[in-house]
Amino acid sequence: MYITDLYAISPQKTHDLSFENGDWQVLNEYIYKAIEPSYQDVIPNSQLRRMGKAVRMGIGVSLPLLGRNPKPDGIIFGTANGGLEDCIKFLNQIVEYNEGVLTPTNFVQSTPNALAGQVALLSENQGYNMTHVNGSLAFESALLDAALYFDEHKTEERRILLGAVEEISDYNYNIDRLGERFKQELVSNEELLNSKTSGSYCGEGSTQFYLSSNPENSLAKFSAFKQSSHLSQAEIGDFIGSFLAEQNLQVSDIDCLLLGKNGDVSTDSWYEETEKLFGAKPTVYFKKSVGEYRTVSAFASYLAVQLLNGKAKHLVENSIPTEPKTILIYNHFDAIRHSLILIQK
Amino acid sequence: MTTDREELIVEFKEHLIKYLNLLDLTPADIKNDVPLFGEELGLDSIDSVELIVLLDREYGIKIKNPTEGRQILVDVNTIVDYIAANRTK
Amino acid sequence: MAEIVVTGMGAISSIGLTIAENLHSLKHEISGIQRAKHFKSHYSDSLVFGEIDQSDTSLLEELGLEKGLGYTRTTLIAIKAFREAVANAQLTPEDIASTRTAFISSSTVGGMCYTDDLYHDANMQGSPSEYVKNYEGSDHALQIVRLYGMKGITDVVNTACSSSANAIALGARLLETGKVDRVIAGGSDCLAKFTVNGFNSLRILSEEPCKPFDTNREGLSLGEAAAYVVLERKTDVSGTKKIQAAFSGFGICNDAFHPSATSDDARGPRMAMELALKRANLNPEDIQYINAHGTGTPNNDVTESYAFSKLFKNVPPFSSTKSYVGHTLAAAGVLEAIYSILAIQNQEVYPSLRIEEPIADFSFQPTLKYTPEVAIQHVLSNSFGFGGNCTSLIFSACI
Repeated sequence: MYITDLYAISPQKTHDLSFENGDWQVLNEYIYKAIEPSYQDVIPNSQLRRMGKAVRMGIGVSLPLLGRNPKPDGIIFGTANGGLEDCIKFLNQIVEYNEGVLTPTNFVQSTPNALAGQVALLSENQGYNMTHVNGSLAFESALLDAALYFDEHKTEERRILLGAVEEISDYNYNIDRLGERFKQELVSNEELLNSKTSGSYCGEGSTQFYLSSNPENSLAKFSAFKQSSHLSQAEIGDFIGSFLAEQNLQVSDIDCLLLGKNGDVSTDSWYEETEKLFGAKPTVYFKKSVGEYRTVSAFASYLAVQLLNGKAKHLVENSIPTEPKTILIYNHFDAIRHSLILIQK
Repeated sequence: MTTDREELIVEFKEHLIKYLNLLDLTPADIKNDVPLFGEELGLDSIDSVELIVLLDREYGIKIKNPTEGRQILVDVNTIVDYIAANRTK
Repeated sequence: MAEIVVTGMGAISSIGLTIAENLHSLKHEISGIQRAKHFKSHYSDSLVFGEIDQSDTSLLEELGLEKGLGYTRTTLIAIKAFREAVANAQLTPEDIASTRTAFISSSTVGGMCYTDDLYHDANMQGSPSEYVKNYEGSDHALQIVRLYGMKGITDVVNTACSSSANAIALGARLLETGKVDRVIAGGSDCLAKFTVNGFNSLRILSEEPCKPFDTNREGLSLGEAAAYVVLERKTDVSGTKKIQAAFSGFGICNDAFHPSATSDDARGPRMAMELALKRANLNPEDIQYINAHGTGTPNNDVTESYAFSKLFKNVPPFSSTKSYVGHTLAAAGVLEAIYSILAIQNQEVYPSLRIEEPIADFSFQPTLKYTPEVAIQHVLSNSFGFGGNCTSLIFSACI
């Protein structure tokens, strides 16, 4: 699956490509909020007025991408939660008005498939349309769906808009806080991985890819990916080893590692195990840039494509690389759901 | 000298802007006789339900559904007349 | 499309706690839409619902699960239907846990059925509730993965009312690649204050039990259900395993008209049905029964009928089984797929209940009474959701 275009709105300055060209935002916050562009030129007011943050960010990424590329044959999104800001607004209405007369916009906008639906509506796209809500493997599921789609239409040239979105709202922040996902103390993102305490910080954003079956002008390709919802720490070596073997690759063929280490002392050991497997490798710890959220592997994929094209080099740790050609992303959530994504030039 | 009706018009328009989140619009921008569901403002069926909620919460007027509402919810003039005649708040 | 077949089914709904009970109700025109017994809401006394006749406590006990571990009602009914489906398909624990088995589920409500706990937690009102980690739509699937030690591909989709129909299509597509040997696909949704109030705010709920395709229909009745099917490649089925039906084709597209209403020319529904027929290598006249989306809303039933009129020279017998169980949201697609399969297996058509005056605009009308002894080879099942997501599935008798 060839990536011919991409765009992201994130807690870094990806919206105007400063980040890709070397900018780095030091984040000293409990919440890594997305840096959003002004949407007035991109989204008509008549639509923008209704949009919660997730849909707004999603559309804010989709429309520019769609504006500069031919109409895709399908739109596939992954989101763990969808429009939660709207969700809590509707929830609060239910309680405040005691299930009385309520306004519908929040409800309609809170549905996880609202984004894919809105993109289809605004771009008049009647093609294949799907939303995956598979928690912290939602992006991986969307990726699988896209791969299936291209496989089924092997004989024709096809294009897919593939993306992910996640927002922070009071709702999910509070719920995750009660679920003990976040650090009690404040540490800057530069020191995140040295913090030796449990939890991390949450981020948000939308990352999208314009995929084509035609390799012409491609920036990179999604070569392979694998997921698991049930893996012990002892099995991680085999999980990665067999994945590489299936692609006829060895540890030495990986030029750069993108790891989802997030400063959570209770689960970072999985990544340390992985680092032992690979030895010294140019590595990017992408959650230092954007925090932790369910579909962050989409952002990691975005970073991988940028790195493969000579951008965002300032993020690489462990040594100065030559321009990498093969990047492996390993990410897990809660050490329960694990994913590997291989992206190559 | 502002009449009660003129005050009600401004008040209603402010509610309209708030409920429908009509970004960048002020009461002065909304003409009294322009159809709400026409080209200019471009409101749709979800907005018609929001309007029904507005009338209920702010003026105590109960309209059952958008179909019934569409006869009343034509433009600012018709709505304000209806409010003046039927408000219970 | 490689021959994909259904080898197992499991369902729990307001008309039965098992497939057999569902079938009995279908044959005897027994509707499950009435005042709720377990569901607590401001609307429990004023609206009717297709509620499953089993409490959470009873479900927990029957399934042998411990209290206090965050098993939401969505999860409990999902587990019950899942168990029936895998037993029906004669899957061993090793089959279920295998890396060659995929699990594709769906839910719109997820753990939000406990709306009050959700409000409490989302607004940080005191210590966390039992369900603080269980609100996500994917939670019920994760619970099942954990209980069965499933090591294969998992996915959860949410395309509103077409969710589980899409789960089935996705399952078939996965099977065709040869990467997996079996797929358990379906969905679960239970009654929740969140959805009841959501649909009510759109003014599309009916006060009386819904009557899809009736001139005086007022809206939908909400229901709850969970259902799963097991899909395999026909060539892999051997021994005593029974083939329930063939899954012949599907069509997925987007209406791209409005967030919560179908276009007047029903372009999305038409395209979904056309794509399904094309994929199944069938013509419209090959369909002997349509299980309609038929929610009972003014908008859906007339636009869906219009789509029929444009696609079929002679519209075959059709009905909405939502008149039995209400609209079960994410579970609707798979539940109606199962009802379509039961129609094929028993060679009969289940009616659209409570129609007094069929929609006058068309020359055809739905089946009004239970009709046995109908030769049925192929059934088309429709699911059209918010966000314009339109899906049509085709099931066929397996010879």
